Amino acid sequence: MLLGIDVGGTHTDAVLIGRQGIVAMAKIKTDHDNLLVSIRDALESIVSVAGPEGVSRLNLSTTLSTNAIVEGDTEPVGMFVSGGPGIDPVLYRVGDHYFTAAGCIDHRGEETGALDESAVVQGMAACREAGVSVFAAVSKFSTRNPDHENRIKELVHPLADYVAMGHDFSGRLGFGRRINTAYFNSAVWRLYNRFVDAVQQSVLSMGLRPRINVLKADGGAMPLSMSRHLPIQSILSGPAASVMGIIAICDIREDAVILDIGGTTTDMAVFAGSAPLVEREGIAISGRPTLVRALRVKSIGVGGDSAIQITPQGVTVGPKRLGPPMAFGGAHPTLVDALNVQNVIAYGNVAASFAGMAALAEGSGLDPETLADYAIAAAVNKIREEVAGFVREINDRPVYTIYEMLEGRKVAPAKVYVMGGPALALSALLQDAFSQEVVVPENFAVANAVGAALARPTFSVELFADTARGRMVVPSLGLSREVGRDYDLAAAEADALALLREHVRYLGAEDDEAPVETVERSSFNMVDDSTFLGRNIRVVCQVRPGVLPQYREAVTCPC
Amino acid sequence: MSVLKAARELGIVFFPAFDWAISPTHPERQERLLYTLDQLKEEGVFDIPGIREYKPEVAGEGDVDRVHFCFPETSGVVSPSHLVSAGGAIRAGRLVMEKKAAKAFALVRPPGHHAMKCVHGARGFCNINIEAVMIERLREEYGPLRVAIVDTDCHHGDGTQDIYWNDPDTLFISLHQDGRTLYPGTGFAHELGGPGALGATVNVPLPPGTSDEGFLYVAEHLIRPLLDDFKPDLVVNSAGQDNHFSDPITDMAFSAQGYAKLTEILDADLAVLEGGYSIQGALPYVNLGIVLSMAGLDYSHVREPGFEPSRVRQGSAVTDYIRRQCVDIRKLVKNPPPRQRSGEMVGEWFVRRKTLYYDTDHITEYQTESVLVCPDCPGVLKIESESSRTPLCLGVQIPIRACPRCRSEGERVFTEGAKSGRYAVSRLIDRAGKRYERVGGVAVG
Ligand SMILES: [Zn+2]
Ligand SMILES: [Zn+2]
Ligand SMILES: [Zn+2]
Repeated sequence: MLLGIDVGGTHTDAVLIGRQGIVAMAKIKTDHDNLLVSIRDALESIVSVAGPEGVSRLNLSTTLSTNAIVEGDTEPVGMFVSGGPGIDPVLYRVGDHYFTAAGCIDHRGEETGALDESAVVQGMAACREAGVSVFAAVSKFSTRNPDHENRIKELVHPLADYVAMGHDFSGRLGFGRRINTAYFNSAVWRLYNRFVDAVQQSVLSMGLRPRINVLKADGGAMPLSMSRHLPIQSILSGPAASVMGIIAICDIREDAVILDIGGTTTDMAVFAGSAPLVEREGIAISGRPTLVRALRVKSIGVGGDSAIQITPQGVTVGPKRLGPPMAFGGAHPTLVDALNVQNVIAYGNVAASFAGMAALAEGSGLDPETLADYAIAAAVNKIREEVAGFVREINDRPVYTIYEMLEGRKVAPAKVYVMGGPALALSALLQDAFSQEVVVPENFAVANAVGAALARPTFSVELFADTARGRMVVPSLGLSREVGRDYDLAAAEADALALLREHVRYLGAEDDEAPVETVERSSFNMVDDSTFLGRNIRVVCQVRPGVLPQYREAVTCPC
Repeated sequence: MSVLKAARELGIVFFPAFDWAISPTHPERQERLLYTLDQLKEEGVFDIPGIREYKPEVAGEGDVDRVHFCFPETSGVVSPSHLVSAGGAIRAGRLVMEKKAAKAFALVRPPGHHAMKCVHGARGFCNINIEAVMIERLREEYGPLRVAIVDTDCHHGDGTQDIYWNDPDTLFISLHQDGRTLYPGTGFAHELGGPGALGATVNVPLPPGTSDEGFLYVAEHLIRPLLDDFKPDLVVNSAGQDNHFSDPITDMAFSAQGYAKLTEILDADLAVLEGGYSIQGALPYVNLGIVLSMAGLDYSHVREPGFEPSRVRQGSAVTDYIRRQCVDIRKLVKNPPPRQRSGEMVGEWFVRRKTLYYDTDHITEYQTESVLVCPDCPGVLKIESESSRTPLCLGVQIPIRACPRCRSEGERVFTEGAKSGRYAVSRLIDRAGKRYERVGGVAVG
């Protein structure tokens, strides 16, 4: 059986799933200052129902790294960056121990300027003085040639408990993103590893012997052992877990929009071409873009706690939150209060909602019921507009070939799935606003834990080959090898797929659980003065986010 | 938070047409913008707050027919790739007109500045003039605009010059390697525009070996004042990058730093990529420099590998020559010689005869261009054209600001021409009445 635990901001949810369906569930208040306690409580509650024996796999989604970064509870990182010409690398400064060294690698992976090792050595002296013991090394175009990053690691190694290298995280381009990713990874490395030690101990002490995976922001899983080196990949996995859960519960197969209506925001994700859409480049952490793959999720500033206001432009809902709904002791009426007034729901103190709405309506010429009506309509309209805008934005993403320009597939959602507290209450109104069918799945309350339990491993492999240089690299696997002049796109694609399959097996998934696919393949003839020099080949293969097929039926309900 | 933030909003329409080439080893091949994309992505340009990437639109044949006389038909001379690159320019133009961005850069291919008013095929890698298609679309949608085009490609922008030769509302300035030493062999200082638009065409031929010093001198001392005098609503830079010292098909000595500074001086609202064939050693760095400069960001660290200013510095003879050129050209533009060398008056019409060669498609075109010299408006344009492939065709254009007499005269010339049976195809571009017609094929009467 598969156990999924999602440690969220307010609740920790756990679900145990067998081939026949959900075996046990638990919902526990999250102890923000001691996440381990929340995990232990969730584990105990499941084990007390189902016993420890049957749990073959534990998938864990945790906010540990996210919280540490948001609250600044991170470790100082010695950051070594070699930029070469272009945007001044000083402008990417992050943290208090940021050192730049001359040195340049160009877009083909050719060294066009040697690494200034003396600058690294100087920076090390400053780090030793400051007691810094985790590091990160990043150079421009290290995904084409990691020599400078490798060399920096060699140099700082004697001082280091841990050194992250930029090319470990992704084969995609983005110097600034690579710097931020490596920095955050080192900054949470120690904290994360200590936490994971404790989780492992708790699991063992309860008599459980599962394989343990950690959830990622793209809705995929990675083995615990791997997460120890790449803790940053565990960030912001919560929203992704919810999306994966709905996909499993509703067995989504056509283009769809997924809305999660929360307290302050409504988060939307889009499912297209049999998988949830993933961010093109990577997620931003604390306002800094990174290379961490994540589901493409957008927040709308409308939720149950969004404040209702009367403005010259009309009645508005959100994006401001002025405290909880009046039904729950707040001081200003919110969307939940409006729904109370309109008898759509009866949450908390309904009389308080009425009183608040009446006070707000006073002097506006509106009676409380009409005001509530307008507010609900405003919220629904805002959501509808934002969904339309999101889909438009997705279809307007840049493409680089005439073929995609003219024949490219457009996302056209056929259904809108709604979950979250006010989902049922708003569903009829949303149905009036959307031309698509609006569906409220039954089990959405534990969708996040279901998503965590059933997430399959995801991974992507970016292969770059330059036959004129005679070299092929796969940065995220640390692979670099010589290739002959006859190496071509077919050979490169076969290599990338084989490497990915092998890696996925190492991640603990069977081939049929995690199908691999090619998402990008191009080969450009490199020509100089009408002479063919070689091929510039790029292949990207991946396992898309998805749910384990064997268990999918176990949780699917008619939606 | 990031220290990097654009001083002004810049929209980039990036379209490298990775599946289009003239031929596998042609300079206009799939690989051309590959390394530029790599560089822009690696530098994180699209992550800088204030800089945003946009997808092109696809221009329609109607957008082409508003500008060009395509013979024998439009679909035969334009391909989807041209409609996408023109659409990229249009999207960039729209971003600026709709104030979604302060400036925009259409980093698209295929290019267009050698495509002339009449199109029988491809010239100098160009089929349709993507700047002109964009500008005329903007004029159609947003009303009459005074537009200045500064063509900084190494080759003379002969196509753009031809299209705007008789338009006093479009200032066309081209600086390029001297036509005596490079394709297309035109663009001399005495080419100043048609009789109704004298001085609205400005050519600055530069000697081979011109480096940053020369280009920036021309930009500051000649182009900047001309732009200031013209007071355009919109400045468009045809941003060719083949002046770079490493370009394989030209002989100039310009650098990435130079291009970035030039961009700053021109202060164009829109840039549209034209040529540039040093695809590894120059384009990634030149494009990065232009992007940073347009966004008002520091570009002082942009430097291409192997750049040594002393090795590409122009000689003092070149410097002196360019200084004198600037003085002479300024005089010529202010006081153009009244007698036109390019053609002759026949009644009220100014007539010039041209023979044009389409090097890319190996077509020769014979053309008679007549413009009605009118005191009240830019005048009706009439072109009779035949080529080694297509029999005699007629093109008539009534300008946006046409006076009533020119409107009726234009319609008369078109209607009579179409009926006469002399022309295989007759085309009307009536900008004043927004009528675009084609009478094709079979002779009437
Ligand atoms: Zn030019
Ligand atoms: Zn050129
Ligand atoms: Zn007139």
